[in-house]
Amino acid sequence: MKKIVSGFMAAVLAMACIVSCSKDTPKNSECDITSAWVDGAQYEQYFYNKADMRHDNIASSDEEIVFWVKSLGALPQMPVSFSITEGSTINPANGSLQDFSAGAVTYTVTAEDGNHSRQYKVVFKERQAIVDTMTLYSFEHAETLEKGATYHVFYEINPYGQRENIWASGNAGFAVVHSDYTPEQYPTSQTPNGYQGKGLCLTTRDAGYLARLMHKPIAAGNLFIGSFDGSMVMSNPLRCTVFGIPVNRQPVKVAGYYKYQPGAEFTNANMDIVPGRTDEANIYAVFFRNQNAAGESIHLYGDDVLTSPYIVTKAQVASLPATSEWTRFEMTFDEGSVDASVLAAFGYSWTLVFSSSKGGDSFEGAIGSTLYIDEVEVTYNTNGTAK
Amino acid sequence: MKKTLIILVLAMVLPTVHVMAEGLGDGLSLKVKAGYSIGASTPYGMPEAIEGIDAFRLTPSFRAGVDAVQPLTGRWGVSAGLFVESKAMDVAVRTKGYHMEMRQGTESIEGVFTGHVGQQISMLMLTLPVCATYTISPKLELRAGVYGSLLLNNKFTGVASDGYIRRGGPTGPKIIIGDTPEAQATYDFSDDMRKLQAGATVGVDWLPWSRLGFSLDLTVGFTSIFKAGFKTVEQPLYPIYGTLGVFYMFL
Repeated sequence: MKKIVSGFMAAVLAMACIVSCSKDTPKNSECDITSAWVDGAQYEQYFYNKADMRHDNIASSDEEIVFWVKSLGALPQMPVSFSITEGSTINPANGSLQDFSAGAVTYTVTAEDGNHSRQYKVVFKERQAIVDTMTLYSFEHAETLEKGATYHVFYEINPYGQRENIWASGNAGFAVVHSDYTPEQYPTSQTPNGYQGKGLCLTTRDAGYLARLMHKPIAAGNLFIGSFDGSMVMSNPLRCTVFGIPVNRQPVKVAGYYKYQPGAEFTNANMDIVPGRTDEANIYAVFFRNQNAAGESIHLYGDDVLTSPYIVTKAQVASLPATSEWTRFEMTFDEGSVDASVLAAFGYSWTLVFSSSKGGDSFEGAIGSTLYIDEVEVTYNTNGTAK
Repeated sequence: MKKTLIILVLAMVLPTVHVMAEGLGDGLSLKVKAGYSIGASTPYGMPEAIEGIDAFRLTPSFRAGVDAVQPLTGRWGVSAGLFVESKAMDVAVRTKGYHMEMRQGTESIEGVFTGHVGQQISMLMLTLPVCATYTISPKLELRAGVYGSLLLNNKFTGVASDGYIRRGGPTGPKIIIGDTPEAQATYDFSDDMRKLQAGATVGVDWLPWSRLGFSLDLTVGFTSIFKAGFKTVEQPLYPIYGTLGVFYMFL
């Protein structure tokens, strides 16, 4: 009897296998650039740091790859090499000399299957030195991104009149499941009613049913200097927030105006109400060394932005009491020892972070908590730093 | 729960069939059957996006009930039956670029998934097969026909892990799905399953002893296990099961 049963099972399985296994491996449809670099000692002189000559871990959502150089004026033709998806091809040729001095060069990566392709703009930009003794962030510049989802993306115009995409938010993560929302329904948006002109509005939102399944029930409004990699939004959200941009000056003080109203019910990551707890806003800044001893780029992430050994100095606003009036806040950096020549070569980065829920990174907070921010002034240390 | 149900159904069905048998006259036989099934709910033809099957675990699926067979002319006859059966499946597959779409209210994620999927399906149903029968010898009878099933209980749950979704298609932004419990994506589409299924069935009864015999049945679904319009699972899944059983013949 046992024999009959096992013989029968073998027959059914064999049948299933005939149905399922008689096929060729499909050709790869993906066509990504995963890293990009410039090789050759003769090209090092055009960069402030060797770390600027390579980009590893290019996000799957990226369509622009920026190499930061000292000057475009005397930039010779550069050979940019790429790692691309297995089986795909790239045009212009991988590692070929191209002229980037006049603008971006567009590379097309075509998948092994021949049916899919992606275009990447590779652009060389001049690192712009901060020449003023302070910088003012007024949140006047936001564009409405319309790519499957519609939300605000903040940017700055530097004193040279150039656009700088220094700001990032978690909106891209929220957009994964809320592509039908309007910009004002996102956690991070621009408000027409700033302290002066427009301003920044951060609201802790209900992340929705699908996010709740993943134990990520709320999305705090946040804005920070750095970039956001939405690919980790489900698996490791603390690695989505990539903090920092290189600077040639050391910030010593940040001040600005805020309004804050905590939401009614404070909830934890399981969306259980925590009685008696009131949500808090958070504003902090971190100044850190952006290369390790091996000359590789260092970024801070959500899980080490306040604890990394590369941190030189940091600042945090002690408390942000609830207020419906625009109220001034101020924070001063701790003492920190800075190497002037490293600073002049953009060897340090800094980030400035605003969040409508202090525990938002661990999905604790109150839906509805709203933090408004405007007219943020950053003051730099001008004693003995290079221009 | 399941056991109680089977007993209940048998208790209801047996007297009915008995009465029917009396009315139909000569030659009617009644077979009480119980068997063990194996099979799967599967697309017809494996999609390219399923790279391979990592594991196929046998799940306890059974089929029990009654067949009434009425000879008509010569070797031909008809049979009708009522069965309680379960069709379960537990499979682990690897996908590459498997199209999926998840919707919940206004929320949606649409894209292609590359990674591992652990899939569990269980369905408990009442099945009514109607067949033409052909007697080869007093010991061997073949049948072929159709069946309808009413689902009493159904589950379609699983875990996607160790891979990524690319939103919109193979060139869209990735969402990494991890392999730790917090980073996996679990899903439950039980509510999207049909309550009524239909299909074709063929079988053979072998009667080596006077009243006790073995039966072998194959059922193939015409209907997907999902409701029309359900898009998360790209292909319709059809239940295909084989049952090896024993039966006892009355009359």
